[in-house]
Amino acid sequence: MNRGYMGRVLMVDLSKGEFREETIPDEIYEKYLSGIGLAAYLLYDRIPRGADPLGPENIFGFVSGLLTGTGSLFSGRWMVAGKSPLTGTWGDANCGGSFSPAIKRCGYDGIFFTGMSEKPVYLYIKEGKPQLKDASHLWGKDAVETEEMLQEQYGPGARVAVIGPAGERLSLISGICNDKGRIAARSGLGAVMGSKRLKALVLDGKKRILPYDREAVHKLSRKCNKWVQFQPPLGPSIGPALIGALLRVLPTAMAMDGMVYKMILRQWGTGGLNQMSPEWGDSPVKNWKGSNVDWPLKKSKSADPDLVKKNEFIKYHCYSCPLGCGGKCSMTGKYSETHKPEYESVLALGGLCMNEDTDSLFYLNELLNRAGMDTISAGATVAWAMECFEQGILTLDDTDGLDLTWGNSSAMVALIHKMINREGIGDILADGSRAAAEKIGRGSGKYTVHAGGQEPAMHDGRQDPGFAVHYSVEPTPGRHTIGAQLYYEMFQLWKRVRGLPKKLPFQIYHKNSKYRATEKHALEAAACSKYMNVVNGAGLCMFGTFLGIKRTPTFDWLNAATGWNKTPEEYMEIGMRIQTLKQAFNIRHGVDPRANRLSDRALGIPPQPQGANKGRTVPIEKMMEDYWRQFGWDPSTGAPTGETLAGLGLSVE
Amino acid sequence: MSYTIIDTCTGCGACVRICPTRAITGKKKDVHRVDGNLCIECGACGRICPSAAVKDQFGHVCVMIKRSQWKRPAFAGDICMSCSMCIDACPVHCLDLSEAKGAKDPHGYPWLKDEKACIGCGFCEAECPVGAVTMVVPVPKEEPRKSRPAAETAR
Repeated sequence: MNRGYMGRVLMVDLSKGEFREETIPDEIYEKYLSGIGLAAYLLYDRIPRGADPLGPENIFGFVSGLLTGTGSLFSGRWMVAGKSPLTGTWGDANCGGSFSPAIKRCGYDGIFFTGMSEKPVYLYIKEGKPQLKDASHLWGKDAVETEEMLQEQYGPGARVAVIGPAGERLSLISGICNDKGRIAARSGLGAVMGSKRLKALVLDGKKRILPYDREAVHKLSRKCNKWVQFQPPLGPSIGPALIGALLRVLPTAMAMDGMVYKMILRQWGTGGLNQMSPEWGDSPVKNWKGSNVDWPLKKSKSADPDLVKKNEFIKYHCYSCPLGCGGKCSMTGKYSETHKPEYESVLALGGLCMNEDTDSLFYLNELLNRAGMDTISAGATVAWAMECFEQGILTLDDTDGLDLTWGNSSAMVALIHKMINREGIGDILADGSRAAAEKIGRGSGKYTVHAGGQEPAMHDGRQDPGFAVHYSVEPTPGRHTIGAQLYYEMFQLWKRVRGLPKKLPFQIYHKNSKYRATEKHALEAAACSKYMNVVNGAGLCMFGTFLGIKRTPTFDWLNAATGWNKTPEEYMEIGMRIQTLKQAFNIRHGVDPRANRLSDRALGIPPQPQGANKGRTVPIEKMMEDYWRQFGWDPSTGAPTGETLAGLGLSVE
Repeated sequence: MSYTIIDTCTGCGACVRICPTRAITGKKKDVHRVDGNLCIECGACGRICPSAAVKDQFGHVCVMIKRSQWKRPAFAGDICMSCSMCIDACPVHCLDLSEAKGAKDPHGYPWLKDEKACIGCGFCEAECPVGAVTMVVPVPKEEPRKSRPAAETAR
């Protein structure tokens, strides 16, 4: 019976150079879906308690999604999962491009690696035969060069995922790249791959991916595509920026409809918010200390979406995406082209460091993509170093003569080169701001902004407390792609799932209500987490799901592709099971969920004296407790209770 | 399920050369066999076999078709959403994304880059959700007028 998934995973033991195929029973897919759920199921008890994330006993894997290749839209996401060396918790990272279907076309839903190779190797799979090949000649090459070399050797059909020099040097903020610059950046899993001396995966499979009812999947896709293609002209990019300013001054907020964001994505990509977001208070400025007052339109103009778009010569679509928020841009200087800098990269390397130099944003974007380093964490770490420099904790002697005053773009470029090469101060900063502060000491720790060791993304919890909650409570702390009050509005889950509070599009409410720790907010946050686990199990893109559950029919696609007949509530329970298992993984590894709370500064402790989020404090303790209670976890510790585990059919120690 | 080869096979090797997954093996002049684990049911072996020795997954013997008459994908640019599903589905990688036409339409669209490599499997058509790919028998191109048009009509 065709059910959209391949039913097998590949286990690669890098120490022994052995391969083992495992057949996954159907009921596992029914309980965990594929993708991140399958990874959580397989890794929970296989990674030994207390395993060193960079040691041979850590297992990490590449997984595709259940819907990938079945004819559904937005299903081009692949994920890596393992124990994170950055946070010591469950770690996963998500990326688009063309790699996700390649995993399935090799006949697997996931490829997992254990052990550690003695010399650099890469995995090559063709015609059902996996092989480990010598990668000595590739070691040290950047992600784009490596991909080009491997594609030259194996043809354009070979899909490549690769680590750059940052991953090789075990930078804890490194990721894994594909398609010459799309990167699964978070959780520091590039370092895990580097520790195993696995340079790349080259997949050239041709297996067919067969859903239960392709025509039914296609029918849903056609309906969804109509919404995606609806695109009125949006005018110049100053429009959203001014709307951002208006949203800031109004005492009220408005529930958002995902169609609006979809139009922005279609027009400019994620960068459409480059100017709107700081105006609105959504994007942190100056290492989370500043506000829109420090980063007015005059300065944020350096990343004006229209300006960025001017360099775009073609839109970039991930596999099966009708939207195409990505782009390829031409640039001058050392590199001739780059993937269009994403919102996160632009704000982390721009506003967070007060950097107004547009050329440096493009250059750093390409440099970090090639190095395989996370732009969010790299930008945030540089911002932290700049504040330490301002406070006199770091001096010119410490920085090897680099003048790290706010916005000094040439010093930033030099510093990031050092981080990638682990030279001088760069060696300390290459592991993120928390690790760096531990090494430097001298009170520098109070300027770090992190959750469990991972720098949060460029969405401010003081503007949308939902972000602060998810940064703090997720089993992978510091994650912005799970939930927020804004996301809940856009997912529109209440239209399909019973018992969820309604938040009608464009409904107006008072801003103060966002900061109240109510049961309703906890219910919404829990719903976001559950739903995103389903989405990540299905391999869908979060931006696609922002269209709303009626327009992007995740549950219906899953039913059509698998032939199951599950209700939305049953899918949400699967999401809850995956989330609980990930949390149980953390407990098993001795993580205290309370310790992953976001840093004070990003929560408005003390509140900001000026700007969009003036006077705002997030009642985080209560919000975290409420969230845990929603999952049936112990509200005082965040640990899943025995009753909850049993209810979900999870047998964990 | 997979394609199979029956004993009318003369071992000419045409199918071995065209199979995109190298699923077919056999000695020259001997009956060949298909590895069911590798076969993706593209049907190329059946279309090329001159001795009617290939059965499809339903057990029907395939009929040879002249390669110039094999169906090839035609793309409807106005429906296409640039999602590249067809490009990924192609087992011989004969499709590619075009350059963007300009600022007005900045998306790339699929096109048949390597016409000779196309095996007419139709996976691109089957996997396109919006029906932007149709498999059609290629119409001979209007050749530039040569000196002897009569020869053309005689054929």
